[in-house]
Amino acid sequence: MKREHPGSGVLGGGDWYGGAVEGEGQEKGKAMMGVGAEDEDVDELLAALGYKVRSSDMADVAQKLEQAEMAMGNGIAASDDALLSHLAADTVHYNPSDISTWVDNILSELNAPPPPLPPPPPPPRFDDSSSLDRQNRLLELPLVTRRAPAEVYDPKPAPAPPAARATGRFAFGSDSQLDVAPSPRDSKRIKFCSSPPSSSSSTTDAATSAASPLPVVVVDPQEAGIRLVHALLACAEAVQQENLKASDTLVKQISVLAASQGGAMRKVAGYFAEALARRIYRRLPRGGAGSSFDSVAFDDMLHMHFYESCPYLKFAHFTANQAILEAFAGCRRVHVIDFGMRQGLQWPALLQALALRPGGPPSFRLTGIGPPQPDNSDALQEVGWKLAQLAETIRVDFHYRGFVATSLADLEPYMLLGQDTDDRVGADDVDEPEAVAVNSVLELHQLLARPGSLEKVLRTVRAVRPRIVTVVEQEANHNAGTFQERFTEALHYYSTMFDSLEGGAAAAAAADSAGGRDLTMSEVYLGRQICNVVAHEGADRTERHETLAQWRGRMTSAGFESAPIGSNAFKQASMLLALFAGGDGYRVEEREGCLTLGWHTRPLIAASAWRVAAG
Amino acid sequence: MLPEEEEEEGNGKTRFFSINDNVDLLAEILGRLDGRSLAVAACVCSLWSAVSRRESVWEAVCLRHASYGNGAAAAATVTSTRSVVAALGGYRRLYRLCIGPALDRLAAGGGGRVPPEASSARHLSLSLSLSLFSIDCYERLGVGVGVGVGVGVGAAAAAAGGRQQKPASLLFLSKPVDVS
Repeated sequence: MKREHPGSGVLGGGDWYGGAVEGEGQEKGKAMMGVGAEDEDVDELLAALGYKVRSSDMADVAQKLEQAEMAMGNGIAASDDALLSHLAADTVHYNPSDISTWVDNILSELNAPPPPLPPPPPPPRFDDSSSLDRQNRLLELPLVTRRAPAEVYDPKPAPAPPAARATGRFAFGSDSQLDVAPSPRDSKRIKFCSSPPSSSSSTTDAATSAASPLPVVVVDPQEAGIRLVHALLACAEAVQQENLKASDTLVKQISVLAASQGGAMRKVAGYFAEALARRIYRRLPRGGAGSSFDSVAFDDMLHMHFYESCPYLKFAHFTANQAILEAFAGCRRVHVIDFGMRQGLQWPALLQALALRPGGPPSFRLTGIGPPQPDNSDALQEVGWKLAQLAETIRVDFHYRGFVATSLADLEPYMLLGQDTDDRVGADDVDEPEAVAVNSVLELHQLLARPGSLEKVLRTVRAVRPRIVTVVEQEANHNAGTFQERFTEALHYYSTMFDSLEGGAAAAAAADSAGGRDLTMSEVYLGRQICNVVAHEGADRTERHETLAQWRGRMTSAGFESAPIGSNAFKQASMLLALFAGGDGYRVEEREGCLTLGWHTRPLIAASAWRVAAG
Repeated sequence: MLPEEEEEEGNGKTRFFSINDNVDLLAEILGRLDGRSLAVAACVCSLWSAVSRRESVWEAVCLRHASYGNGAAAAATVTSTRSVVAALGGYRRLYRLCIGPALDRLAAGGGGRVPPEASSARHLSLSLSLSLFSIDCYERLGVGVGVGVGVGVGAAAAAAGGRQQKPASLLFLSKPVDVS
């Protein structure tokens, strides 16, 4: 079942395509596990690689491989350099269809002085060891886990940068044969060109013996990482094609593979695997993520931890505050409408900034909107009271009003504008109209779950005649296209997000238990989003993130124009990031008047400001 | 620092000058230190400890190390800043919670990776520090409120196991334990 054609494409039967990979080309391999295997008793997973191993023989083969490895290890101790160099240079495994005898050969070679190997049967091996060395990679291994060279999975919406990176790294160019690498040390490693397993990669690998229950399996974490990503993508495709059997197999495989990873990759894979499992088995939590009543307080707590552990929300708040502050310059009466009040963490800073602005603080009114609470406690009022306390200490005239709304679309302009002049003592300044600002941090995307909601909300916003509308949203497209596209995009996005959490939190608060808890809770917070993006559909899928460009289109068609965020906000954001340990990876960028914060090259959150278009 | 010597009374020949007799001068001098040295100075004696607790001293320290972006605005708002900061907890607290750790972090971070536009970040922005300070103060309000009310932050604490949630928004500034 050996395939060697360099350029062929997908097999209709759905076997793993063990194709040769050109230096620059990538091949599309479809993973349809378990379908179309020739022999029923041949282990399916390995069959996809081209190895014919009976399932019954697996134990035996694995054991022999282990012996072979140990023998090689001893070989070094015995300083049998000749053997090793011989193995390095000349030993080639040409016929993967019979692993057992091949391993036996290895063993006998090692245990006895090696005769020169018989000349191999065809096909000729593509010798790119030089290119390998050049690119600092080593192929190996006699282990079953070693994969067929470089099948490259090309996901459909494959973002160009990861694909390009993958191309550079994995141009193995050999066909479905193994080069036996000499040293057991190397057998434990595949060195790819600086590809951390946690970075999402679109290259893949077919084989896995992770399904084997035996403990002898040695899985190189980096390689397993590649396989893990590939398995995730394959499973998404299986789910999209409603191939229950395949997706079931793959989900289990993912869980096992994920265990071999460390750090961010393991967590991301774990959450995605759980979400996939939920989708496959229809074990969905009631309602969308966080929409079930008893978890609103839990949601808020997760939100708090996420706020504390990484700079995204702080960036969002500070940038929006800066835009609001600048829009309110010179106004004596200001009104802020916050679409997602939660704990009100954004507003102390704005209150302080208003208190210290030249000319003194204005009269400040805040309208907070929040979801209904299950236990009839009035969280919104509590938050308002705390803010009022703070405002009193810094002597800012503060008024607060809380609105409970299940969905933002329930709001009407008269509710927001119903300016109770009875609130105010004396009507001396009624002639000056209030300056209104509308603030939405990670709230608008949920409206996309129900058609028409967003348009209604934007109409309401327009009717309030705000001076400025600040919108902060995740910078990702988790709403368009097929499930598979969404899944791939989400995988990239959340991998980067988890990476940034690891990078930041590890440096900053590893020694601090509170920081560790923050990190865990932030991961849970993100995990719930992942579950919603992957496992839910329809009105339940509330995490419908869209990119800045898409939001721009929506806002302009609703009658808003972009209000560029000034350089002050940019400087402040940069300063803020400089304060975060591990902040090397964070990048603030300015894009057509909007600011984005990202991790390395990937923007993750975008803050923009809008005003009502004239005319 | 001058050694402590008794001022000669009436002998006239030589009069020794003791800084402890001129606390305003002492305050002026201490106000030019950085935070760490000031804290060390506070351990010298009870007089120095009292002087170094003065808000004016810490105000000088804070303003020296953190500044408003443009000098013109700074002059106009020093008094209002003073009242706001006092309301939020005082300059000493501001330094301890925000400015001190931030300066440490900026110094540790190195200047190489700081983008040119943010080179002014080396001079920590007072407004940024105040923002962070106000958030922290706000969170502390919650800690006191949560007792017996059990909602909002308190509910979150209850979810976390019945303990009060400690204000943690400034944790990201805390210096990690250096075990190298």
